[in-house]
Amino acid sequence: MKNLYVLFDQDCALCRTCSGWLAQQPAFIPLHFIPLQSPDLERRFPGVGKLDFREKLVVVSDEGAFYQGPNAWIICLYALRDYREWSFRLAHPALLPFARRACELVARNRLALSRWALKLPIEKLSQKLQAMPPEVCSTTPGGAC
Amino acid sequence: MTPLAWTYLSYLVLAIPLTVWVARTLHQSGRIFLVDSFLGNEALADSVNHLLVVGFYLINLGFVSLALRSSERPLDFQGVLETLSTKIGWVLLVLGVMHFFNLYIFARMRKRALLRQALPPVPPQGQVGAL
Repeated sequence: MKNLYVLFDQDCALCRTCSGWLAQQPAFIPLHFIPLQSPDLERRFPGVGKLDFREKLVVVSDEGAFYQGPNAWIICLYALRDYREWSFRLAHPALLPFARRACELVARNRLALSRWALKLPIEKLSQKLQAMPPEVCSTTPGGAC
Repeated sequence: MTPLAWTYLSYLVLAIPLTVWVARTLHQSGRIFLVDSFLGNEALADSVNHLLVVGFYLINLGFVSLALRSSERPLDFQGVLETLSTKIGWVLLVLGVMHFFNLYIFARMRKRALLRQALPPVPPQGQVGAL
Protein backbone atom coordinates (compact mmCIF):
# COMPACT_ATOMS: atom_id res chain seq x y z
CA MET A 1 0.00 0.00 0.00
CA LYS A 2 1.86 3.06 -1.26
CA ASN A 3 -0.97 5.51 -1.91
CA LEU A 4 -4.54 5.88 -0.75
CA TYR A 5 -7.28 7.55 -2.77
CA VAL A 6 -9.99 9.19 -0.70
CA LEU A 7 -13.24 9.45 -2.63
CA PHE A 8 -15.46 12.01 -0.94
CA ASP A 9 -18.65 13.93 -1.62
CA GLN A 10 -17.71 17.42 -2.70
CA ASP A 11 -21.24 18.72 -2.02
CA CYS A 12 -21.00 17.81 1.66
CA ALA A 13 -19.49 20.63 3.71
CA LEU A 14 -18.51 18.29 6.50
CA CYS A 15 -16.77 15.90 4.09
CA ARG A 16 -14.89 18.86 2.64
CA THR A 17 -13.81 19.95 6.12
CA CYS A 18 -12.63 16.45 7.01
CA SER A 19 -10.78 15.97 3.70
CA GLY A 20 -9.19 19.40 4.08
CA TRP A 21 -7.99 18.46 7.52
CA LEU A 22 -6.71 15.05 6.37
CA ALA A 23 -4.82 16.72 3.52
CA GLN A 24 -2.96 18.99 5.93
CA GLN A 25 -1.67 16.22 8.19
CA PRO A 26 1.80 14.68 7.81
CA ALA A 27 1.26 11.18 6.43
CA PHE A 28 3.01 7.81 6.33
CA ILE A 29 0.96 6.91 3.26
CA PRO A 30 0.15 9.82 0.91
CA LEU A 31 -3.58 10.54 0.63
CA HIS A 32 -5.02 11.71 -2.69
CA PHE A 33 -8.46 13.26 -2.75
CA ILE A 34 -10.91 12.63 -5.57
CA PRO A 35 -14.47 14.04 -5.46
CA LEU A 36 -17.22 11.48 -6.04
CA GLN A 37 -18.49 13.86 -8.68
CA SER A 38 -15.30 13.45 -10.71
CA PRO A 39 -16.24 12.25 -14.25
CA ASP A 40 -13.33 9.83 -14.64
CA LEU A 41 -13.86 8.05 -11.29
CA GLU A 42 -15.33 4.90 -12.88
CA ARG A 43 -12.60 4.85 -15.51
CA ARG A 44 -9.91 5.12 -12.84
CA PHE A 45 -11.41 2.59 -10.45
CA PRO A 46 -13.63 0.23 -12.48
CA GLY A 47 -16.51 -1.10 -10.35
CA VAL A 48 -16.34 1.72 -7.79
CA GLY A 49 -19.91 2.80 -8.62
CA LYS A 50 -21.41 -0.23 -6.86
CA LEU A 51 -19.91 0.71 -3.50
CA ASP A 52 -21.79 2.01 -0.49
CA PHE A 53 -21.42 5.77 -0.39
CA ARG A 54 -23.81 6.34 2.51
CA GLU A 55 -20.93 7.61 4.61
CA LYS A 56 -19.90 9.81 1.66
CA LEU A 57 -16.38 8.49 1.97
CA VAL A 58 -14.69 5.51 0.36
CA VAL A 59 -10.96 4.89 0.40
CA VAL A 60 -9.27 2.88 -2.34
CA SER A 61 -5.64 1.76 -2.21
CA ASP A 62 -3.39 1.77 -5.27
CA GLU A 63 -3.93 -2.00 -5.46
CA GLY A 64 -7.71 -1.51 -5.68
CA ALA A 65 -8.57 -2.68 -2.13
CA PHE A 66 -11.46 -0.55 -0.90
CA TYR A 67 -12.56 0.52 2.56
CA GLN A 68 -16.03 1.88 3.25
CA GLY A 69 -18.08 2.81 6.30
CA PRO A 70 -16.12 3.13 9.56
CA ASN A 71 -13.17 1.27 8.02
CA ALA A 72 -12.68 4.09 5.52
CA TRP A 73 -12.27 6.63 8.33
CA ILE A 74 -9.95 4.31 10.21
CA ILE A 75 -7.72 3.71 7.22
CA CYS A 76 -7.47 7.49 6.71
CA LEU A 77 -6.23 7.90 10.28
CA TYR A 78 -3.90 4.92 9.80
CA ALA A 79 -2.28 6.77 6.90
CA LEU A 80 -1.48 9.79 9.09
CA ARG A 81 1.73 9.99 11.08
CA ASP A 82 0.23 11.68 14.13
CA TYR A 83 -3.03 9.71 14.18
CA ARG A 84 -2.00 6.12 13.46
CA GLU A 85 -2.36 5.38 17.14
CA TRP A 86 -5.94 6.67 16.96
CA SER A 87 -6.69 4.27 14.11
CA PHE A 88 -5.73 1.27 16.27
CA ARG A 89 -7.73 2.61 19.18
CA LEU A 90 -10.85 3.25 17.10
CA ALA A 91 -10.62 -0.16 15.41
CA HIS A 92 -11.72 -1.68 18.74
CA PRO A 93 -15.23 -3.17 18.26
CA ALA A 94 -16.68 -0.88 20.96
CA LEU A 95 -15.38 2.24 19.22
CA LEU A 96 -15.71 1.22 15.57
CA PRO A 97 -19.26 2.67 15.20
CA PHE A 98 -17.90 6.05 16.31
CA ALA A 99 -14.93 6.15 13.94
CA ARG A 100 -16.57 8.71 11.73
CA ARG A 101 -17.67 10.91 14.61
CA ALA A 102 -14.22 10.77 16.16
CA CYS A 103 -12.68 11.90 12.85
CA GLU A 104 -15.16 14.77 12.57
CA LEU A 105 -14.48 15.86 16.12
CA VAL A 106 -10.72 15.67 15.75
CA ALA A 107 -10.88 17.48 12.39
CA ARG A 108 -12.99 20.26 13.91
CA ASN A 109 -10.69 20.33 16.91
CA ARG A 110 -13.60 19.54 19.19
CA LEU A 111 -12.32 16.42 20.89
CA ALA A 112 -10.64 18.46 23.58
CA LEU A 113 -6.99 17.61 24.00
CA SER A 114 -7.15 14.62 21.69
CA ARG A 115 -3.88 13.29 23.06
CA TRP A 116 -5.54 12.89 26.45
CA ALA A 117 -8.72 11.47 24.94
CA LEU A 118 -6.58 8.77 23.36
CA LYS A 119 -5.45 7.60 26.79
CA LEU A 120 -9.01 7.17 28.10
CA PRO A 121 -10.26 3.63 28.71
CA ILE A 122 -12.37 2.21 25.83
CA GLU A 123 -15.68 2.59 27.76
CA LYS A 124 -14.99 6.21 28.74
CA LEU A 125 -13.98 7.19 25.20
CA SER A 126 -17.04 5.42 23.81
CA GLN A 127 -19.31 7.34 26.24
CA LYS A 128 -17.60 10.61 25.37
CA LEU A 129 -18.11 10.04 21.64
CA GLN A 130 -21.72 8.97 22.17
CA ALA A 131 -22.43 12.11 24.16
CA MET A 132 -21.32 14.36 21.30
CA PRO A 133 -24.15 14.64 18.75
CA PRO A 134 -23.24 13.91 15.13
CA GLU A 135 -22.90 16.98 12.98
CA VAL A 136 -25.58 17.71 10.39
CA CYS A 137 -24.60 17.19 6.78
CA SER A 138 -25.46 19.95 4.36
CA THR A 139 -26.58 17.57 1.59
CA THR A 140 -29.02 15.56 3.70
CA PRO A 141 -31.56 17.96 5.24
CA GLY A 142 -31.98 17.25 8.93
CA GLY A 143 -29.76 14.19 8.93
CA ALA A 144 -26.19 13.13 9.36
CA CYS A 145 -24.06 12.34 6.35
CA MET B 1 46.01 18.04 53.81
CA THR B 2 43.00 19.89 55.17
CA PRO B 3 39.67 18.07 55.78
CA LEU B 4 38.26 19.95 52.75
CA ALA B 5 41.01 18.61 50.51
CA TRP B 6 40.28 15.11 51.83
CA THR B 7 36.62 15.65 50.98
CA TYR B 8 37.45 16.71 47.43
CA LEU B 9 39.84 13.82 46.93
CA SER B 10 37.38 11.23 48.28
CA TYR B 11 34.63 12.77 46.18
CA LEU B 12 36.64 12.38 42.97
CA VAL B 13 37.81 8.88 43.92
CA LEU B 14 34.17 7.84 44.43
CA ALA B 15 32.34 9.87 41.77
CA ILE B 16 34.56 9.11 38.76
CA PRO B 17 34.59 5.29 39.11
CA LEU B 18 30.85 5.46 39.87
CA THR B 19 30.23 7.30 36.59
CA VAL B 20 32.41 4.81 34.71
CA TRP B 21 30.60 1.86 36.30
CA VAL B 22 27.13 3.25 35.47
CA ALA B 23 28.21 4.08 31.90
CA ARG B 24 29.59 0.55 31.37
CA THR B 25 26.49 -1.06 32.84
CA LEU B 26 24.24 1.03 30.62
CA HIS B 27 26.41 0.27 27.60
CA GLN B 28 26.28 -3.49 28.20
CA SER B 29 22.71 -3.95 29.42
CA GLY B 30 21.23 -1.22 27.26
CA ARG B 31 22.36 -2.78 23.99
CA ILE B 32 19.56 -5.31 23.74
CA PHE B 33 16.99 -2.62 24.58
CA LEU B 34 18.39 -0.38 21.86
CA VAL B 35 18.46 -3.20 19.29
CA ASP B 36 14.78 -3.78 20.05
CA SER B 37 14.02 -0.03 19.91
CA PHE B 38 15.60 0.14 16.47
CA LEU B 39 13.66 -2.95 15.35
CA GLY B 40 16.67 -5.24 15.05
CA ASN B 41 18.99 -2.77 13.30
CA GLU B 42 22.11 -3.80 15.26
CA ALA B 43 24.57 -1.51 13.49
CA LEU B 44 22.41 1.54 14.26
CA ALA B 45 21.82 0.38 17.83
CA ASP B 46 25.57 -0.07 18.43
CA SER B 47 26.32 3.33 16.96
CA VAL B 48 23.67 5.07 19.09
CA ASN B 49 24.79 3.09 22.14
CA HIS B 50 28.36 4.32 21.71
CA LEU B 51 27.26 7.92 21.11
CA LEU B 52 25.06 7.76 24.19
CA VAL B 53 27.95 6.59 26.37
CA VAL B 54 30.12 9.44 25.09
CA GLY B 55 27.34 11.95 25.86
CA PHE B 56 26.80 10.31 29.23
CA TYR B 57 30.49 10.65 30.17
CA LEU B 58 30.61 14.28 29.02
CA ILE B 59 27.54 15.33 30.99
CA ASN B 60 28.31 13.40 34.14
CA LEU B 61 32.01 14.13 34.36
CA GLY B 62 31.18 17.77 33.58
CA PHE B 63 28.69 17.76 36.44
CA VAL B 64 31.12 16.01 38.78
CA SER B 65 33.79 18.67 38.10
CA LEU B 66 31.36 21.57 38.43
CA ALA B 67 29.98 20.21 41.69
CA LEU B 68 33.42 19.71 43.23
CA ARG B 69 33.69 23.05 44.96
CA SER B 70 31.98 23.12 48.33
CA SER B 71 30.86 26.12 50.33
CA GLU B 72 31.00 24.06 53.50
CA ARG B 73 34.23 23.78 55.43
CA PRO B 74 34.33 20.42 57.20
CA LEU B 75 36.51 20.51 60.28
CA ASP B 76 36.53 16.85 61.28
CA PHE B 77 35.90 13.35 59.95
CA GLN B 78 32.16 13.62 60.52
CA GLY B 79 32.02 16.86 58.55
CA VAL B 80 33.97 15.25 55.70
CA LEU B 81 31.51 12.34 55.58
CA GLU B 82 28.48 14.65 55.59
CA THR B 83 29.77 16.88 52.81
CA LEU B 84 30.88 13.88 50.81
CA SER B 85 27.52 12.18 51.22
CA THR B 86 25.64 15.25 49.96
CA LYS B 87 27.87 15.55 46.93
CA ILE B 88 27.74 11.86 46.02
CA GLY B 89 23.97 11.97 46.53
CA TRP B 90 23.66 14.69 43.91
CA VAL B 91 25.85 12.76 41.47
CA LEU B 92 23.70 9.64 41.95
CA LEU B 93 20.48 11.59 41.46
CA VAL B 94 21.75 13.19 38.25
CA LEU B 95 22.86 9.78 36.97
CA GLY B 96 19.44 8.32 37.80
CA VAL B 97 17.47 11.14 36.18
CA MET B 98 19.57 10.90 33.01
CA HIS B 99 19.13 7.15 32.94
CA PHE B 100 15.33 7.32 33.15
CA PHE B 101 15.19 10.16 30.64
CA ASN B 102 17.13 8.01 28.16
CA LEU B 103 14.80 5.07 28.78
CA TYR B 104 11.76 7.30 28.21
CA ILE B 105 13.12 8.63 24.92
CA PHE B 106 13.92 5.13 23.65
CA ALA B 107 10.58 3.73 24.73
CA ARG B 108 8.90 6.50 22.70
CA MET B 109 11.14 5.82 19.71
CA ARG B 110 10.35 2.12 19.89
CA LYS B 111 6.62 2.80 20.03
CA ARG B 112 6.82 5.07 16.98
CA ALA B 113 8.90 2.55 15.06
CA LEU B 114 6.41 -0.24 15.86
CA LEU B 115 3.49 1.97 14.81
CA ARG B 116 5.27 2.81 11.56
CA GLN B 117 5.63 -0.88 10.72
CA ALA B 118 2.16 -1.91 11.88
CA LEU B 119 -0.27 -3.43 9.41
CA PRO B 120 -3.65 -1.67 8.96
CA PRO B 121 -6.01 -2.25 11.90
CA VAL B 122 -8.96 -3.01 9.60
CA PRO B 123 -9.15 -5.25 6.53
CA PRO B 124 -10.39 -3.94 3.18
CA GLN B 125 -13.99 -4.82 2.40
CA GLY B 126 -13.28 -5.83 -1.17
CA GLN B 127 -11.51 -5.13 -4.37
CA VAL B 128 -12.22 -2.84 -7.32
CA GLY B 129 -10.18 -2.38 -10.43
CA ALA B 130 -7.41 0.20 -10.21
CA LEU B 131 -5.55 1.90 -13.02
